[in-house]
Amino acid sequence: MALSVSEPSSGRSSQGRAGARSASLNGWLFTAPALALIGIFLVYPILRSLVLSFYAGKGMMLKPAGFSNIVRLWNDPIFLKALVNTTTFFVVQVPIMIVLALLLAGMLNSDRLRFAGFFRTAIFLPCVASLVAYSVLFKGMFAVDGVVNSTLMAIGLVDQPIGWLTDPFWAKVLVILAITWRWTGYNMIFYLAALQNIDKSIYEAARIDGVPAWARFLHLTVPMLKPVILFTTIISTIGTIQLFDEVYNLTEGRGGPADSTITLSLYIYNLTFRYMPSFGYAATVSYVIVVMVAVLSFLQFYAARDKA
Amino acid sequence: MADVRLQAVRKTFGVLDVIKGVDLDIRAGEFVVFVGPSGCGKSTLLRMIAGLEDISEGTLTIGGQTMNDVDPSQRGIAMVFQSYALYPHMTVRENMGFALRFAGMDKQEIARRVQSAARILELEPLLERKPKALSGGQRQRVAIGRAIVRNPKVFLFDEPLSNLDAELRVHMRVEIARLHKELKTTVIYVTHDQVEAMTLADKIVVLRAGQVEQVGAPLDLYDDPANLFVAGFIGAPRINVFTGQVTARLPGAAEVRLDGFAERRLVIPLTGEAPAEGTEIRLGIRPEHLTEGGAESLPIEIDMFEHLGGETFAYGRSRSGETIIVSTRNGRHLKAGQVLAAGFDASKALLFDAAGLRIR
Ligand SMILES: Nc1ncnc2c1ncn2[C@@H]1O[C@H](COP(=O)(O)OP(=O)(O)O)[C@@H](O)[C@H]1O
Ligand SMILES: [Mg+2]
Repeated sequence: MALSVSEPSSGRSSQGRAGARSASLNGWLFTAPALALIGIFLVYPILRSLVLSFYAGKGMMLKPAGFSNIVRLWNDPIFLKALVNTTTFFVVQVPIMIVLALLLAGMLNSDRLRFAGFFRTAIFLPCVASLVAYSVLFKGMFAVDGVVNSTLMAIGLVDQPIGWLTDPFWAKVLVILAITWRWTGYNMIFYLAALQNIDKSIYEAARIDGVPAWARFLHLTVPMLKPVILFTTIISTIGTIQLFDEVYNLTEGRGGPADSTITLSLYIYNLTFRYMPSFGYAATVSYVIVVMVAVLSFLQFYAARDKA
Repeated sequence: MADVRLQAVRKTFGVLDVIKGVDLDIRAGEFVVFVGPSGCGKSTLLRMIAGLEDISEGTLTIGGQTMNDVDPSQRGIAMVFQSYALYPHMTVRENMGFALRFAGMDKQEIARRVQSAARILELEPLLERKPKALSGGQRQRVAIGRAIVRNPKVFLFDEPLSNLDAELRVHMRVEIARLHKELKTTVIYVTHDQVEAMTLADKIVVLRAGQVEQVGAPLDLYDDPANLFVAGFIGAPRINVFTGQVTARLPGAAEVRLDGFAERRLVIPLTGEAPAEGTEIRLGIRPEHLTEGGAESLPIEIDMFEHLGGETFAYGRSRSGETIIVSTRNGRHLKAGQVLAAGFDASKALLFDAAGLRIR
């Protein structure tokens, strides 16, 4: 009796297992094209460049070299300069941009602001503007005899024109200005979207209870946007550490003056395409970026974790 | 405790008139309920008192002081929102104490007030929890606690119970009534639920389309509504309305005929003058005033029942097609299709003119 009951049921279950197997095969077949593309164009290059980073040599003449590339990093003044520059851009620019984007989002979210739609579009527009067009424009505006210098001199802020493109310090400032101009609106849109989801009566309750506007921003808006702030900070960190376009376009690909704006990405590009190609070493520098991004993202997640 | 006075208060949003001239006197310590259908302007009126909306015209005084242009935080009010509006990232303790910091209050005083509010509202075991770890009723109590710690002169509530389930709603209703007894603060409470209004209010303000329809004590509104709208809004189930005409003017009464019951003449006692013969009228009789048999009675065919156990609501149609509800305590024997001789006491019937205004 017990057998006759258990037999058909076990038969059914093995049939079920076979069915599950063929279903999962179907699933793999459907995802195969995508997986193949990801494998060829993403996984393979990543692994290949990891292997490459242990090879040294000029052009195609590559020989296994163990950790010599990593040793070379420490003795390469341009690499160290690029590392310092990239870190400087990241440390200075990301906080400025995040705070600016938050403040702008806070202001644009106010009911009392007129023409909010216009400002929102105007602030967002730079990140969809053509990179080349805006670089040309920036170079013109910040030229020694450009509109920025003449304005600064006209209002008496400076006596002499600033060498935006020739002075090592101001060249860095220019790069920071350029990427801030381009990406602040992009981050702001995330904050605006998140702010739409916050119950308005939270702010009304705070207003009635006498919480001043700055405290509503600092103690209500910022904590409630924390997940979005974390997200945009990581995105911006990654973007800044991989910074390439702006510097390349503003300095004709040289990272000048005197390597004062060279970034890791630009250095990788130069190692590969501008100087005598050094693929192995370039791959090693790339992995420096990978490690930096991983470590910084981890630190940011750690700092923003929910302590409760 | 403070009195609140509205004089010819209006609110327009662009071209939309939302509050169309409201005059209202609220005495210190009174529990006033604004009630009316959704969209009639209750919240807008409350938010004008709170200072969250500008007053387009008219004056608002709280405690004798004109408040039209005073900042919300300086009006001596505290408000509880329908959505609770708790700060999601703060604990219950922080939620209640947060705003006090900005009033220049020292830490010990804040702690003392939070503690005392927590005790009154039985929130002590929950002080370290965040709002997402609380039930709806607990969140509501935190929102009330956040209002209490401010020691306001006037409490404003905007539909505070409408996000709670039925049982909790009854419980919180009792809590709020108890709190008002304890704190003796002026309360202005907005709801669309007439049961809440009837049970909580010292004074009910019935609003319709931005205008006050009637102001009065709950039972006064029930017994003596000024018009058909108030009669329909106060009391559940809804009052039955029959159409008809005046057939004769009697001393201290009007003799009427109801459509569909042409053979019957009903004599409705009045304190004032009866309307002229032939005038179109509406006769309102509350479901609980219709009984089986009685002096004046109308034959009503019953087509559906709701047995609540103690009480039975019988739904039927008058011969002229109006839906009639009879509420009775001994209706278990009633059957569908049966014709009920629904009797009533004519002195409890309410007479209205064709426009819905009461004829007393
Ligand atoms: N900010 C606003 N702008 C335009 N119309 C509004 C605004 N707030 C409320 N209203 C309108 O005012 C009327 C009354 O709204 P409200 O006071 O919220 O009604 P209630 O609380 O009685 O349901 C509604 O018709 C609503 O659409
Ligand atoms: Mg409302």
